[in-house]
Amino acid sequence: MSNLLDFLRKYHHWLLFVFLEVVSAVLLFKYNSYQGSAWLSSANVAVGKMYEVESGVTSFFSMTRANEELTLRNFYLERQVDQLRRLYSEVTHDTTVIERQTLQFLNQYKLIPAKVVANTVHKPNNLMTIDKGAADGVEVNMGVACGNGIVGVVYLVSEHYSVVIPALNATMSRISCSIRNSNYFGYLHWSGGDPAIAYLEDVPRHARFKKGEWVVTSGYSSIFPSGVLVGQIEKVFNSADGLSYKLQLRLSTDFSCLRDVCVISDRRVAEQAKLLEAARDSMALTNRNR
Amino acid sequence: MSIEFFKRLGWFVVLCLAQVLILNHIHLFDIAIPLLYVYFTITFRRGMPKWIILLWSFALGLAVDVFSNTPGLASGSMTLLAAVQPYLLELFVPRDSAENLEVSISTLGVGKFIVFSAILLMVYCLVFFALEAFSFYNWQHWLTCAGASFALSFALMMAIESIRKR
Repeated sequence: MSNLLDFLRKYHHWLLFVFLEVVSAVLLFKYNSYQGSAWLSSANVAVGKMYEVESGVTSFFSMTRANEELTLRNFYLERQVDQLRRLYSEVTHDTTVIERQTLQFLNQYKLIPAKVVANTVHKPNNLMTIDKGAADGVEVNMGVACGNGIVGVVYLVSEHYSVVIPALNATMSRISCSIRNSNYFGYLHWSGGDPAIAYLEDVPRHARFKKGEWVVTSGYSSIFPSGVLVGQIEKVFNSADGLSYKLQLRLSTDFSCLRDVCVISDRRVAEQAKLLEAARDSMALTNRNR
Repeated sequence: MSIEFFKRLGWFVVLCLAQVLILNHIHLFDIAIPLLYVYFTITFRRGMPKWIILLWSFALGLAVDVFSNTPGLASGSMTLLAAVQPYLLELFVPRDSAENLEVSISTLGVGKFIVFSAILLMVYCLVFFALEAFSFYNWQHWLTCAGASFALSFALMMAIESIRKR
């Protein structure tokens, strides 16, 4: 008996070693069990608090970028409000009405916020998937925009998801855009390569513009309201046939890190689309009878 | 509570925070992670009661585990290292040296310290990544991770030790 006690006293640290290793092994093997992992994991209060403090510090460093984006967005929205205010006062000769009815303009546009769940930018024909579908009110041919500018047009809709053709689609995307503050318009075309560069084609040669001017949606299509940012003019080229200009634009939307978008559903779209449809049908009929 | 306890406690807190807040986020080439907290076990003085070494190392390993969401991984490896460290140290101390010799470059000499800490660090890296993978199926990946983390941690440790020497 005393030999055993002597042995234990001499090698007691090995017993402690075995005990601690067993504890570690138990922790390791129990990792997948809910109780074990919840107790020892980072849900632990002290750990959680410390990570909260650390993330407060690190998020502070990304504030500047968030601020810049918000300022730009603010600037754009103020310009749009200004434009709408002037337009309305021209029409009604009543400048005080806007204060009473400020929100009525934007009421016709219903915005459905969505998140991008799949996206590509390096194929010649890119497609994007968002997490809102028919159940949320999304329909085919609705426009999609984000905080920085246009994104694309809804192409296919299922119950809970939709496929969007972004501006970065060489064969299928043609969005009507105009140079801000002038009525000259053209069609946006992306020809592959850099996801931040696209071309505005068919701009008439008598159009006046400067490099650095903003290009916005023209409002001529029933898909986007006018004034949504598209990009800035970087370079000017002659078109292939020499009859018009081809402007190189730097797109304001960053397609490679897109996450939050909104689908624009204009209640007047259905009426406008039906009218256009009826006009085309009647023209086709007249041509046939001739 | 002796002054030595508080010095150990200070190193514990500093190494744990440095590992968890900064070094855990470094994944060089996706294989190497600096494991600086091993320095804690390497620098236990000769003659320190082995159960104290075991308990301190287990505690530091557990603390790092709790923050990294890997319970049992670092604590198991650190306990193993703590069991081995006193015996390995006996092989490296110069003859006729004090019973409570501190472990550093100035007491052991540069060469012996480098070999001593390299052996301990290599053992730790091998055990750590073996426990992490929990199988030897992809042994090339295990060896690559262990080797790369060893190199990175060793460089960091030598840097810290050379600052302390001054």
